[in-house]
Amino acid sequence: MKKQILTCTVNDQAVEVLVPPYQTLLDALREDLGLTGPKEGCGTGDCGACTVHLDGKPVASCLMLAMQARGRAVRTIEGLAKTGTLHPLQDAFVRHGVPQCGFCIPGVLMAAAAVLAENPRPTEQEIRYGIAGNLCRCTGYTKMLTAIIEAAGAGAPARREG
Amino acid sequence: MAVMKTTRDIKGVGDPIPRADGREKVTGAVQYVADIQPRGLLHAKLLRSPHAHARIVRIDTSKAKALPGVRAVITAADMPQLKKKAPTRAHAVLAIDRVVFSGQPVAAVAADELAIAEEALDLIQVEYQVLPVAVDPLKSMQPGAPPVAEAGTEADTSEALAHSAVALASSETKPAKAVNISQQANVKRGDVAKGFAEAEHILEKTYRVPMVHQGYLEPHAVLAQWDTTGNLTLWASTQGSFNTRSEVADVLEIPENRIKVIPVECGGGFGGKIRALCEPITAELARVTNRPVRYVMTRREELEAGMPAPQVIIRLKTGVKRDGTLLALEAETILDTGAFSGTVLAVSAVFLGSMYKWPAFDIKGMEVLTHKPSVAAYRAPAAPQTIFAIESHMAQIARELGLDPVEFRMRHLIQEGDPMVNNQPWQSNGAKQVLAKVGEHPLWKGRKEWAASGGKDGRGLRGTGFALGGWLGGLQPTSATVRLNPDGSLNVLTGQVDIAGTNISLAQIAASAFGVDFDQVKITTGDTDTAPLTGLSAGSKTIYTVGSAVLQAAQDARRQTFEIAAKEMEASVHDLEIRDGKVIVKGAPDKSVTLASIGKKGNLYMSKIPPVLGTATPAFSQQAPGFAAQIARVEVDPDTGETTLHEFVVIQDVGKAINPLGVEGQMQGGAVQSLGIAMTEGLMFDDAGRLMNPSLLDYRKLTAADLPNIETIIVEVPSPSGPFGARGVGEPPIVPAPAAIANAVEDATGVRITELPVTPERIALGRVAKGNGGARPR
Repeated sequence: MKKQILTCTVNDQAVEVLVPPYQTLLDALREDLGLTGPKEGCGTGDCGACTVHLDGKPVASCLMLAMQARGRAVRTIEGLAKTGTLHPLQDAFVRHGVPQCGFCIPGVLMAAAAVLAENPRPTEQEIRYGIAGNLCRCTGYTKMLTAIIEAAGAGAPARREG
Repeated sequence: MAVMKTTRDIKGVGDPIPRADGREKVTGAVQYVADIQPRGLLHAKLLRSPHAHARIVRIDTSKAKALPGVRAVITAADMPQLKKKAPTRAHAVLAIDRVVFSGQPVAAVAADELAIAEEALDLIQVEYQVLPVAVDPLKSMQPGAPPVAEAGTEADTSEALAHSAVALASSETKPAKAVNISQQANVKRGDVAKGFAEAEHILEKTYRVPMVHQGYLEPHAVLAQWDTTGNLTLWASTQGSFNTRSEVADVLEIPENRIKVIPVECGGGFGGKIRALCEPITAELARVTNRPVRYVMTRREELEAGMPAPQVIIRLKTGVKRDGTLLALEAETILDTGAFSGTVLAVSAVFLGSMYKWPAFDIKGMEVLTHKPSVAAYRAPAAPQTIFAIESHMAQIARELGLDPVEFRMRHLIQEGDPMVNNQPWQSNGAKQVLAKVGEHPLWKGRKEWAASGGKDGRGLRGTGFALGGWLGGLQPTSATVRLNPDGSLNVLTGQVDIAGTNISLAQIAASAFGVDFDQVKITTGDTDTAPLTGLSAGSKTIYTVGSAVLQAAQDARRQTFEIAAKEMEASVHDLEIRDGKVIVKGAPDKSVTLASIGKKGNLYMSKIPPVLGTATPAFSQQAPGFAAQIARVEVDPDTGETTLHEFVVIQDVGKAINPLGVEGQMQGGAVQSLGIAMTEGLMFDDAGRLMNPSLLDYRKLTAADLPNIETIIVEVPSPSGPFGARGVGEPPIVPAPAAIANAVEDATGVRITELPVTPERIALGRVAKGNGGARPR
C-alpha cells in the first residue's frame, strides 16, 4: 500500500513523516519518530500504556491510525516536561517511589496530566476514574494516587476570589 | 567543627530512599526490549496452532517464503536438535508432528516489517488432523484420556527448587497408569482415621481456582543477534539472565560462554519470565538470517500461549473437637499444569498441612497434564490457591463452632522449630506477631459495628474477613563484587535483574556495610559476560541472598581498605573506622587517610598498593519464611451480589525493611494482584481447549477505580541470617486475599464461596440457594 505523508506537531515540533495507511499512531511515534516512551501493552486499548495527548485530550495511540493525527498536536511522555525539569506529576512519582517495573508509567502520567488539565482540583474518586483506563500490575495504585493528589495540590493555580 | 558521621548516621539501610532510576522511568527514557532498534532489524512472528490437540499432517511454507520482504520461514524440520520428548516448554521450540495446546508455535517467520511477517503467517498452509482433547484435569487424569506428553517424558521439578527449596521426603514422581499424571506426592503423619473417628466437627469442601495470568504489562520480548565468530547476544526481558543463558544453551546445544544475555529493563515478570519461552526461536531466526531479529508477543498471545499459574482443585476435610482442638486433616490437591510439567507440588502440601499443628494428616498431591498452555510460577506459586483452601476452612470451623477466628488460629499456629509436613523444622518467623496485629487492628475490632451499619439504602450487606499466609523463601547461590574507585566512590556489580526496586536496597546495604552514604554507591546489573554468577529474581530471595552477597562483598572491600590504611597510618586494623569518606583511627580523629587516596593508589602507575575489590560468593541453606495477613472490609449489594471493597490492610513481617518505600510498594502491589485472583481473574477455556477471554477487556485485571487505598503495616521480626535481619518481601502479600475476601463475603452474606473468582454471580446464586435473595439475614 502506498505510503502517505503525515504532517502534525509532536511535542511542539512540526513533523513530516511517511507512513503506511494502516500504521497506528503508536507505531509511527515509536518506529518512525523514535519516541519509545509510549508503550504497547495490549494493542487493543485495554491497558492504557500507549496513552498520549491529541490536542490535549488523552487517547490510546494503539487504536488510532497515524493519519488521524494529521494537522493536530500530539504530546507524548517525552514532551510532558519542559527541557531539564520534571512536570510536578513526574516529580511526585519519583519522590513517592511510584515506578516499579515502569512500563505503565508513561501512560499513567499522560492520563493523570489530562485529568489535572481539565480539573486542577480533582477529588480522589475523579482521579481514580481518570486513570481507570491504565492498568498497573506492580504498585496497587496507592502510591500513584498519593503522588497525583499531591501534584494536584502543588501544581494548581491559586484560587481567585470573586 | 563539622559533624562527623558514624556508621549509625549513614544514609543507608532503613531509609525510605526513592530508587535511582525513577527519573528514567517517569520521563519515558528507560529502554525495554521492544524499544531497541538496531540497524538491519528483522521482525519475527510465530504461526500458532488453532487446535489444542492435533497431528500435523503437512506444512507448506513455499508461498510465505516467496513473499517479498520475508527473510526466513522455519519449521521443526529445520531444527534437528529438537526432540519429541521435550522435557520443558522451552525445548518445545516448534511443534514437531503434534500440537498439544491451542497457541503452540508451529512455524516462525522473520521479515523486514512486522506487517509483512503477519502477512506471511497467512500464507503458511498447515494441514491438521484434529485429535480428542483433555481439557478438564479431572477427566485428563483418568485412564484412557487422550495423552498430552509423549510417553516417557520426565516431570520437570526445577521450578520447585528455584522457588522454595522444599522437597517432600515421600515424593513419588513415577506416573501411574493414568497417562496424564506427571507428578504425585503423598505426605502422612499420625492416625488420620482415628482423628476423624474422635472428631466432633467434620468439614469437607472442595476449593477451585482457575488458571490466572501474571499480567506483567510488558509482553515477553527478545532481541537476538549473532556475530561472525558464532557468539550469540540476547537482549532479554527476563527475571534471571544466567538462567536464561543456561536454558537457551541447552535447547540450542551451544556452549554457555558463547551466549551473552543482556538483561534489559524488565516490564514486570511476577514469575512468568523465569523460564525461557521465545528466546530459542528468536535466536534461531537470527542465525538463519544473519540479522538482528526481534520478537515481541502480543497480549493475545500472552493470554493464549503464555505460562500462567496452574488451575488448582483442592478437596479438604478436617476433623476437630467442639472446643477447636485439631485432630485430623485429609487433602487432595490437583494441579493442572497444562501441556508441560512444571508445578510446585510440594508448596501446596506444606501450606495445607504445616501452617497449623495438625496431629494427623494425609495429603495427596497430583500434577495433571492437559491440552492447555503449560504453566509457570506466579508470585508465590501454588500458595494463594492453597491458602484459599486452608484459610477459608479455618474461618468456617471458627464460625460453625462459635470460636474467635484470631484466637482459634493463634492457638494452633506454628512457630520456630515446629515440624512442617516434610519434617523439616519451621525456621524463625513472625507468623504469630503478624496474626496478633490482625486482632489489634481497628477494622477487625470494629467488625460488628461495620456489619450492623446500613450500607447502600440501608440494605447493604457488610462484612469483614481476614486470612494469614506466607512464603518459605527461596534460596540460590549468588555472587557480587564491590569496587573502591579512585575518587572514593563504590561500584557494586551483580547480575541481579531489578524487577522490584531491589537495586536501591542493595546500594543501601553496600553503603551501610562499607561505611559511606548510599549516594556514594552505584549499582550495576551486568550481563552474563561481565557480571559474577547471579541467581533469579524470584522466590522472594533477592535481598535475602544477593543482599547477603553484597553485604559480604562490601565487608570484604572494607577489610581490604583497612589493611591498606593500617599500613599507611601504622595502626591496627581493629582500631579503624570509616567516617566522612576517610579511614580514621578510633579515638584519634586527626590521624586519617581518605578513601579517595586509597582508591587512587590502586590505579597509580608504579604503585605497590593493590586495588580494592571486595568479592562474595555465598551459598545458602537456611530459609527465612515471611508471613502476611490481610483484612478486607466489604459491602455486598443484596440484589446483584456486587462486592465493593471499602478497606484493605496488609500486615507483613519483612524481618527488616531495608527500604520502607520499596517494601510498601511490594506489599500494595502484591495485595492488588492477590485481590485480582480473589475477585476478577480467570482464564476460561471451552471444551475444545480454546481460550474464551483472550483480551484484557474480557480477562479483567483490577483498576484504580475498583480499589481503595491499601494500608500497610510493616512488622519486623529479624531473620537470623538475612542481611540486617531482612526477609523476602515480594511473595507473601499475594497470598492471603482470596481467602480474606471469601471470608468477608461469608461474614456479610452467609454465603460461602469455594470457587474463585468471588464474582457477583456466584454470590447472588449462593444467596438464592440459601433462600434469601433479598434482605440481610439477621
